[in-house]
This record gives sequence, C-alpha cells and structure tokens, in this order.
Amino acid sequence: MPELPKRKVGLVSCSGEEMAEGTVTRLATLKVLETLRPEETVTICLPLFLAGGEGDRAFARFYPTIAIDGCEKRCAARGTEMYSSKPAAGIVVSELCPAGAEEQGTARRLNEAGMKAVNAVAEEIALHVDRLLGAPWDQSRGESAGDDPAAQVKAPGVATCSCGSGIPVKTLEIGGRQVEVLALPLIFDMFRQAAKPAVDETAAEMIETVRLYNRIPEGEEALWKLALGREYASYCAEVR
Amino acid sequence: MTRKALIVPCSGIGKTYGSVAREGAYIVTEDLCPKSSRLVPLALVVLGDEEVQQTLAGSPAIAIDGCKLACAAKVVAGAGGTVAHAIQVLDVYRRHRDLKPAGIAELNEAGQELAKALADEVSGLVDGIAAEETNA
Repeated sequence: MPELPKRKVGLVSCSGEEMAEGTVTRLATLKVLETLRPEETVTICLPLFLAGGEGDRAFARFYPTIAIDGCEKRCAARGTEMYSSKPAAGIVVSELCPAGAEEQGTARRLNEAGMKAVNAVAEEIALHVDRLLGAPWDQSRGESAGDDPAAQVKAPGVATCSCGSGIPVKTLEIGGRQVEVLALPLIFDMFRQAAKPAVDETAAEMIETVRLYNRIPEGEEALWKLALGREYASYCAEVR
Repeated sequence: MTRKALIVPCSGIGKTYGSVAREGAYIVTEDLCPKSSRLVPLALVVLGDEEVQQTLAGSPAIAIDGCKLACAAKVVAGAGGTVAHAIQVLDVYRRHRDLKPAGIAELNEAGQELAKALADEVSGLVDGIAAEETNA
C-alpha cells in the first residue's frame, strides 16, 4: 500500500550567495539533512515557491518548517510566509553567531570560524526539529494543532529534497469552484489498493483522510464528498 | 558606464548540479569577469527586494540552473528582469561527460572541473554582453 506523505520537518535555507552567513545556512541545513536528522527532515529550494507548482507552495503548510536565514533581511522566513505558510520556527545566523565582515570567511569559502558557525546553526536546527516533532501539527491549517488529537499526524519517513516533487495535488470541481486538494492522488492510490469500491460509504471514509491534509470549509462537506466520490469513481474506471 | 552582466545561480540545495551552478557563478564573478559581472542572490529576487529589482531592470542577466525546473530563469523573468541567457548545468555536463559531479556540501574534483567548464562558457557570454554594451 502506498504511504501518504508523513510527518517531517521542512527546512528552508536562504542560501544567500553573496555573504558568508548565507553559505553557513546552506551548509548547516545540509548537515541536518544528511547527518543530524536525515530521517526527520526534508528541504525545498526557496525559489521553488515561485517557480514551482501548487504542491511546492503547500510545503510549509504541509510540514512544520524552519526558516534558516543568513541576515536580518530574513528572505527565507519572509519568502516562505509570503508564498507558502508561516514557518514554525526561524534562525538567523547573524544573530545566533554574530561576526564582523569576513570573520567567517567568504561566501565561497568559509574559514574555521565559519565552519564553527555551521555546526552551531546545525545543532540549533536539530533542536527545533526535535521540538517540532514532539508537538502536534495541523496540516490542513499549516499551524500547531494545539491539543486537538484529530488534527495530529505523526509517522516516520525518508529524508529527501522536495525540489520538483512537492506535495501531490489534484484539482477537483467543488461547488462550481476549482479546488486543489493536497495529497489526493496518494489517497486515491491507497483506497484503490485497499480494494475500496467507488460507493458513497467510501467517499464518506475518504473525506476523513482528505481532511488531514486540507481545510474543508464549514458547510461544504457534502459538496466535497460528492466531488470525491465522482472523481474516485472516474479514477477507478481509468486504472482498471 | 557599462552595465555589468548579472549572474544569477539557482539556490539548488538538494542537488549536486545546484552546487555546480553556485560554484560556477563564483568563478565567473570573482575570478574570470570580476569587472563585467555581478552575482545576484536569488533569495532577494524571490523576496521582491526593491534594490535588486532595480538592478534586474537595468542590466541583462545570465541565469544558471541546476535542474530542469529552472527556478533562476523563471524567477528573474517573473521579477521583470531580462534573461539574456539561461544556462542549464546538465547541458554543460552533456558536453563534458568525463566530469561527473558528486557531493553537495563539497563538490568532488570532477564537480569542481565541471564548475570551471560552466564558468568558461558563462564568461564567454559575459564578454559578449560587454561587447554589445561597448558597441551600443
């Protein structure tokens, strides 16, 4: 059975190419992804929020996200909030490891102080990852779920770069509107492989899974159920 | 005063070719064409930084992308910049198949060589832009 995208923490680094602190964000993020928390983290390139598709822009709603910025301009934090959703945490290298001009080396080559900053920032990221994974996250709203157990999803997964993959989406017509439904292709796969028939009862069951990843506006549940049932029947007929 | 060519590498953090794009951009702007090119951080373009947008509006850009998603070229164009040349690292690699890059945080030797090959191609484009500027 295919697995739905699981709970991980998203890392968005500014990668600022013109300053040493930008390189610190990049290398610290890579250290967490590759070494410190490879199973618990995933990343996306900041520009993909603009250049990618809806699945990419859903990144920070889907994953509790840590923005890692080199300077006070906070491009990663602000860009993520502008195009995806508010990051759950933020780190600014120039605040965490203050240094004078070129004290950490250059953007192209960090010196020993720069590499120390990389380690310090990576440790800080890892702390945030642990904290965020210990707290519930509401993927339908892109924010902490508080104490609502229905909104909590947690499971292990595999670390990866999300460039180009994003969160799979499918567009449905719901109540005369085009609505992009997060994770729906995977949900369809999962239901079909579980031999769920395209009947009303399945649509009713499916909507509870869909709700984990999408916000269903109040009063629209019947419309969503109708659209899901219709689309799932069509999907089953296609893949038969 | 002649305008500098703007070199905009992608921010590719999860792929080797993104690192090649970044390293190649440094070689162009710091070693090969420091007087006729300038590095532009893509994150500032994403954010809509006013100063960077003015810079983009006033000079031709060379976008260097590490994957087919072409974030650098798309984002620069979307910000109103003129993408004079859009380079894909993979295309450069196809012309230098002996230079198989590996590593992200630190490129292997072949990756460094590929970055130099990329930089050589880009510096030729920078020279072309500079010549057009002179003749304009």
